[in-house]
Amino acid sequence: MPKKRERLEVIKDILRAIRETRSIKPTRLLYASNLSPQMFKEYINELISKKFINIDIDNKEKKTFSLTKKGQDFLQEYKIIEDFVDNFGL
Amino acid sequence: MIEWIIQSKESLKLIYAFIIILSCFVIVIKTNKLFKLSEHQGIRYFRNAFFFYGIGFFIRYFFDLKYFIFNKNYHVLTTFIFEYFLIMGGFFLLYSLLWKKIESAGEEYFTSLINSKVLVFYLMAFVIVGLDCIWKTFYFMFFSQIILFAILILISYNNYTLKGSKGKFLKFYLIAMIFSFIAWVLNFLAALTFAWNPGILITIYLLNIIIFLFFAAGVVRITK
Repeated sequence: MPKKRERLEVIKDILRAIRETRSIKPTRLLYASNLSPQMFKEYINELISKKFINIDIDNKEKKTFSLTKKGQDFLQEYKIIEDFVDNFGL
Repeated sequence: MIEWIIQSKESLKLIYAFIIILSCFVIVIKTNKLFKLSEHQGIRYFRNAFFFYGIGFFIRYFFDLKYFIFNKNYHVLTTFIFEYFLIMGGFFLLYSLLWKKIESAGEEYFTSLINSKVLVFYLMAFVIVGLDCIWKTFYFMFFSQIILFAILILISYNNYTLKGSKGKFLKFYLIAMIFSFIAWVLNFLAALTFAWNPGILITIYLLNIIIFLFFAAGVVRITK
């Protein structure tokens, strides 16, 4: 059975999927994140509220997600954050 | 040796406090940076634990110097403030390991140090300090901390056996928790039966220095 992903790992995967395409539509991001729609919604709301991602709406009311500076910094320092959380059992 | 230590105890206490406050300062600065980057709640509570420990030791040892003491009430006040911050530090350390099982994703924070769940700890610490204050003792703090660190030993042992391969510091975390537990038991015994025996107090101080340096070294090594 595949191992359940840790919360931090899910966040990294979502942010990486956004970074790879610079801006990504919600449906594509849902597939890329490999989460249930309910969980996906929870994570996206959290990432928006913590200012890791932006939600952009174009003239045709189409939504896309893009990374903020904070989201980029998180990905850059991800290894240290992951090490810290693992080493202190947080 | 013990004679010399007793003679120079005021200066040694300041050095002791300085080492612990510096360790806390380093931990808080490093973890605050990491928290700002990640918004990880576990890191937030871990940082808060050492923030409270640092402030507690600062108040106890630098606001309570002999030339600051105008009357006995001032000393009593700093002692109980120290106790409050020490208890809160322990609670935050425990909560940093438990928060995942307790909090929901959209937890609302009044400030970075307070949310509705953590508020319970503030109240519990207040009650413990209040009881010590009423009975003019430290036993309520000692009991609470002995129980708290016994729980922390169990949790950190569990973390070490389950995730030991993922984090090398988990072993030192467990050792630090065992040392903390021993230090609190010694504190309790020193107060109860040994009339604050200097030899026991020196052992407690040494254990505390080791614990805080362990954590500071671990944090610096991982975040460098």
